[in-house]
Amino acid sequence: MSSKSLSLRNISKRFGTVNALDNFNLEVGVGELVALLGPSGCGKTTALRVVAGLEHQDSGTVLVADKNISDVPAHKRNMGMVFQAYSLFPNLTVEENVAFGLQMRKVTKTVRLKKAHELLDLVGLDSQSKRFTHQLSGGQQQRVALARALAFEPEILLLDEPLSALDAQVRVNLREEIRRLQLSLGTTTLFVTHDQEEAMAISDRVGVMSHGKLEQIDTPDALYNKPATSFVASFVGTMNRIPTQLSDGHVQLFGKMIPALKNGNESGNVIALVRPESIVIKSTDEDANAKVLTRLFMGASSNIVCQTKDGTVVQSLMSSDKSGDLHPGSTVKLEVTNKEVLVSNA
Amino acid sequence: MAKALRVKFQPPLALTLLILGFFVFLPMLSAFEYSIRTPLTGGYGWTHYIWAVTEDDFFHYILRSMWLAGVTVLITLFVLVPTLTWLHLSNSKVRGLIDGISLLPLVIPVVAFAVGAQIAFPEFVQNTVLELPFLYFVLALPYAYRSLDIGLNSIPLKTITEAARSAGANWMRTITTVIVPVIRGSVMATIALTFALSLGEYTLTVLLHWDTFPTWVTYVAQDNILGAIAISMMSLIIPFLILTVITLFVPERSTQGRK
Ligand SMILES: Nc1ncnc2c1ncn2[C@@H]1O[C@H](COP(=O)(O)OP(=O)(O)O)[C@@H](O)[C@H]1O
Ligand SMILES: [Mg+2]
Repeated sequence: MSSKSLSLRNISKRFGTVNALDNFNLEVGVGELVALLGPSGCGKTTALRVVAGLEHQDSGTVLVADKNISDVPAHKRNMGMVFQAYSLFPNLTVEENVAFGLQMRKVTKTVRLKKAHELLDLVGLDSQSKRFTHQLSGGQQQRVALARALAFEPEILLLDEPLSALDAQVRVNLREEIRRLQLSLGTTTLFVTHDQEEAMAISDRVGVMSHGKLEQIDTPDALYNKPATSFVASFVGTMNRIPTQLSDGHVQLFGKMIPALKNGNESGNVIALVRPESIVIKSTDEDANAKVLTRLFMGASSNIVCQTKDGTVVQSLMSSDKSGDLHPGSTVKLEVTNKEVLVSNA
Repeated sequence: MAKALRVKFQPPLALTLLILGFFVFLPMLSAFEYSIRTPLTGGYGWTHYIWAVTEDDFFHYILRSMWLAGVTVLITLFVLVPTLTWLHLSNSKVRGLIDGISLLPLVIPVVAFAVGAQIAFPEFVQNTVLELPFLYFVLALPYAYRSLDIGLNSIPLKTITEAARSAGANWMRTITTVIVPVIRGSVMATIALTFALSLGEYTLTVLLHWDTFPTWVTYVAQDNILGAIAISMMSLIIPFLILTVITLFVPERSTQGRK
């Protein structure tokens, strides 16, 4: 296998006054799929382009298998790249597009076309190999781009929001396909996206970025359950932000004292961060502490929005059969199921 | 063709065709008709054409002019394609400046240009006929530049270039195997424009005391006006044939429908 590990060490990159990457560090293991997740403009694409050699960092080093490649030009880096925008060569057929990287590596025509067909087969497009790229749908074009990026057995695969221009259904199918291919080929992959569901669904680890820095990098489960910062907490999944007081290491939530998990030196007035699925709603007339605003039926589960007596709006995710008796206007009692709850400064 | 003829009457198109017909095709047809007259016997014949092609200098000068035009085309492509690619990719402020400079040849009077060239150029430049392709390149620059500029503007140049580079193509191969084929239409237009302009250039050539096909035709016209017209008619058709052949030999690739 030609896959290699990737390290970015103390990478900084400025564009004028913008710090696109600010002392950025990242390690990706051999065969691992790491997603870089973050809001638009946080520096994800820049990180990827620095790895690809399409942009040069102001300082810091890029290492592939512990070898510094910072001064290797893009065309010698042996990295497959899939772009956000459709990037296929319009003058070439599908198979010629896929064989392009091998052609540049002086592989004979028979061999490279054979390899192109292998990859087109893997992405389910072998029947389209003689067509021109404008005759394909958006999803098919990105599949061809993926095949093109993998055909020359790159050391690292770089994907820059490859799904963002596609329809929802195609997006879900293709992301699973990317993961399946990546696992079977064992290619070290860096996947950039602003879609947290996408990142969580297919990655071994997800790095959450903000303002050119890595806020936290961890497995999807750890990121979801133990966000290291309140930015990560609110960016990954949905979080209720409930104002409360912190005293003696506990916060009071709906009449219950719960141990607080601090990331810093929070004290006094704080915000408790609670996932919707950690809030249960009981229909009651006595000791009610909130009232239902809306109930959104989503199949197996329902999303219920309540307002507490002091005005805070809270979302709860409950299984639909347990929340069938809740209607807008119902008086209810909210409870938090967490053993401990994350807090951040108000 | 049959389909095109069924197009409904379009006043603007009709006006254009009328102007073209009156100012281009009518004079050319008349010149052609004039060139096949045989005053001695009355009626028509190919006398003057036969005279032209049997004239020793005919092939000498047409080949020389075509050779110079070919060199001009090569200079144009070698200089402009990489330069424009770089200008488009770099988003440099220089681009506006170069855009403006490329238009200058349109406003500089050729006479002033020729005189200036004779004063400024060192002897060894003025002693080689190769100064002509470079000067023709300058004269054709406004058209060649615009044609390539439009081509590069119409494609997702940055993404395509980066895709090629990350797939292992160096700059040279990116330009030759990706960019040029993708803007093939523009490149062909540039070749045609530059070739035709170089082949027909008269003023600058004469002022710099070089002999090419157009200057030879003028020379011949002094003694044999009908022969000169015949030669000019042929000089119109020969490059046309050559360009047709070039177009036929470049493989046709469909890029229509691309966004
Ligand atoms: N070529 C460039 N010139 C100037 N600014 C740029 C350039 N590329 C990126 N930036 C800026 O750097 C920041 C990070 O951009 P980018 O890496 O594209 O973010 P993301 O991919 O996360 O949306 C943004 O503020 C963007 O405007
Ligand atoms: Mg981006």
